[in-house]
Amino acid sequence: MNFVLIGVNHKSAPLQVRERLAIPAARLQEATLSLLSVPCVREGMILSTCNRVEFLTYQEPAQADLLEFIQNYFAIGKEALHPYMYEYRASEVVRHVFRVASSLDSLVVGEPQILGQVKESYSLARSIGGINNNLDPLMQRAFTVARKVRNQTSIGISSVSIASVAVDLARKIFGSLQGKTVLLMGAGKMGELAARSMMQHGASTIYICNRTYERAVELAGKFPGVRSESGSATGQSAIVQPISYDLLHQYAATADIIVSSTGSENPIFNRKHAEQYMQRRKQRPMFFIDIAVPRDVDPEINSVEGVFVYNIDDLQAVAVSNMSSRTKEAMNAEVIIRTEVERYTQRMQSLNGVPSIVALQQTLEDVRQSEMRRMAPRFAQMSSEQLQAVEQMTRALVHKLQHAPIQAIKRAAQEGDRETLAVIQNVFDLEHHEKPIEATGKAESMVGQNEKETAFAPTPDATATKSADSAAAKPVTVKEDCLP
Amino acid sequence: MAMYLIWLRVALVLYGVSSLTVIPDVLTGHDRWRKFVHPVCVSAFYFHLVALVEMMRLAHHWVPASLHEVETSFALLLTLTFLAIYWRYRAISFGLFVLPVIFLLLLLPAAQPDHAPVSSQWMHNGWILLHIALLLVAYTLLLFSLLSSLLYLIQERRLKNKQIGGIFSHLPPLDTIDHIAFVTLVIGLPCMTLGLLAGALIAQESVGAAYFLDPKVLLSIGMWVLYVWMLYVRRHTGLRGKRAVYLSSLVFLMALTVWVANQFSTVHRFPAP
Repeated sequence: MNFVLIGVNHKSAPLQVRERLAIPAARLQEATLSLLSVPCVREGMILSTCNRVEFLTYQEPAQADLLEFIQNYFAIGKEALHPYMYEYRASEVVRHVFRVASSLDSLVVGEPQILGQVKESYSLARSIGGINNNLDPLMQRAFTVARKVRNQTSIGISSVSIASVAVDLARKIFGSLQGKTVLLMGAGKMGELAARSMMQHGASTIYICNRTYERAVELAGKFPGVRSESGSATGQSAIVQPISYDLLHQYAATADIIVSSTGSENPIFNRKHAEQYMQRRKQRPMFFIDIAVPRDVDPEINSVEGVFVYNIDDLQAVAVSNMSSRTKEAMNAEVIIRTEVERYTQRMQSLNGVPSIVALQQTLEDVRQSEMRRMAPRFAQMSSEQLQAVEQMTRALVHKLQHAPIQAIKRAAQEGDRETLAVIQNVFDLEHHEKPIEATGKAESMVGQNEKETAFAPTPDATATKSADSAAAKPVTVKEDCLP
Repeated sequence: MAMYLIWLRVALVLYGVSSLTVIPDVLTGHDRWRKFVHPVCVSAFYFHLVALVEMMRLAHHWVPASLHEVETSFALLLTLTFLAIYWRYRAISFGLFVLPVIFLLLLLPAAQPDHAPVSSQWMHNGWILLHIALLLVAYTLLLFSLLSSLLYLIQERRLKNKQIGGIFSHLPPLDTIDHIAFVTLVIGLPCMTLGLLAGALIAQESVGAAYFLDPKVLLSIGMWVLYVWMLYVRRHTGLRGKRAVYLSSLVFLMALTVWVANQFSTVHRFPAP
């Protein structure tokens, strides 16, 4: 398993570092292509969320210097980056990916958005050829494990969402949200959820602003009871009004709560803006919820009297402090992850024995066919039924003879017992018959399929053999530009 | 021993208990403490009221003029306002500051009977009663406005520093605290205005125009002007936070000065014959 994962997350790096590495959705494809152009990186995908930026790769035959790639890509010095980066390899990657997809590595453990974000990154990487036979089974398994964790534990049931934390904080400032005005800046999903939650808690006016006015109109359409541009309500208690970006600061001064989640690389709201707003609203408190990474709201604004700024880390820290009851569920989920990682790792290791199994089967089949050909003149007098019976008998004989060595190969592969593997290869003279299998992907897919049928039971030999047969079908493809 | 002393001591003990139990209630926000503080405080108020009525009945007048009577009446108004704010806004946090003040105010009256009873021809004058009662209410509300500003400051600091859990985690929302601060000021203004007018009428009648030169009267007028100015500023500029605390403190300090000025006043004495 030549998996390598390198990245930063909310635990390893502060928001100031994460926002320098954040990759907007619009640039993710180009960034993934850049990653794939790194020598030795056969497959790769990038996960960039508000909590993490991670580069998942499959490398062969040598190790690529991903840290150097990141330094060059983001034009950041090693000193500024190195203390915050983490790197996982082989089975550590499997564990990490499973934990991320299952939301166990999230700051708000159990939050549901992460799985969707992982799937989006996966789809994008797959569409540009970044995901193939090695990463695909890993990601598919990660999605299955995530579903399993969610179904078998209550980790998501009591999820303290960022939206609910934002509402709670707004209540600490305003008491009730009845009659309050909310400005939603940007089209981020989490921002939309927060604004929607505030509307449900009584906010009377929702202004929606986006650099592209049509996008604001489109987003407004997702809220119940979209209003006309004049903002007049039509049968609903709340007014939902898309506004032009040019009028942002004019409307912002009237908003009690500003939820910002744009992909902007520079702050949209600065201290001067906040001071102007406060003057216009006679010092009535204002609450900025900055969900964007990089941040949309200059943190200096928090020092303006009456203005409260909470960024994504602040919101999540509050959420974490509210969820002690989830610890037990998280522990149960960790047990599932541990079991799944072991299972996946064992399967990967057993796949290392597949070329030997295939070679053994091929050798014995060659012997059988050779003997059948040699005996063919003597079988000339036999009827077709008799010939078929002989054929079946020899096949059955070969299957029975190869059963014990195949079991031994599988055991040795799982245990990493190279000596036993070598002995079996010598005894059966398999070295000359072994064919490389394309990065185990196809075979692994087959084993994955088999596992659906035998999820909690040992894989029958026949199935393994069939998998191995299938696995042997494709040759290895190696990039020309990668030297060990 | 007069019966009112017994009732007052019972009330004192209950206030002491509620002063102590309100601390974990406000600091930790556990409801079980609140279930205890509230009934104890209501019981204390009941004994306090009975004691005050008994005290005034024994003094043969209804105007709280002596130090013990003023302290007891002021403490009762504080309790009443605290309970009213609790019932209206569920804001128990004020108790952290008010209940110990009430306890301290009652210490002296509950310890022994007043040895310097006030006896004056004015003691049965309705204008005097109105004057004292309205000003006591105004002072009470002013104190609550000051406390609200302080709580606002604490809550604002907590929210700015992202301290959501821990002590003071159950302070009322900022808007609620601000509302309490403003409402107490608004209700206090007519009380103070009418109270001062009633005092002015009495002084005009008894002393004549010379009462304007009395330091207490001058300070009272100054306090009223400051009070109106504070209300105006809060209303028109939305003053909150630190500056609101400073302004409220200034007005409250002025009110205390006015009260202390009794010692230097020639027109504001009720000497015993």
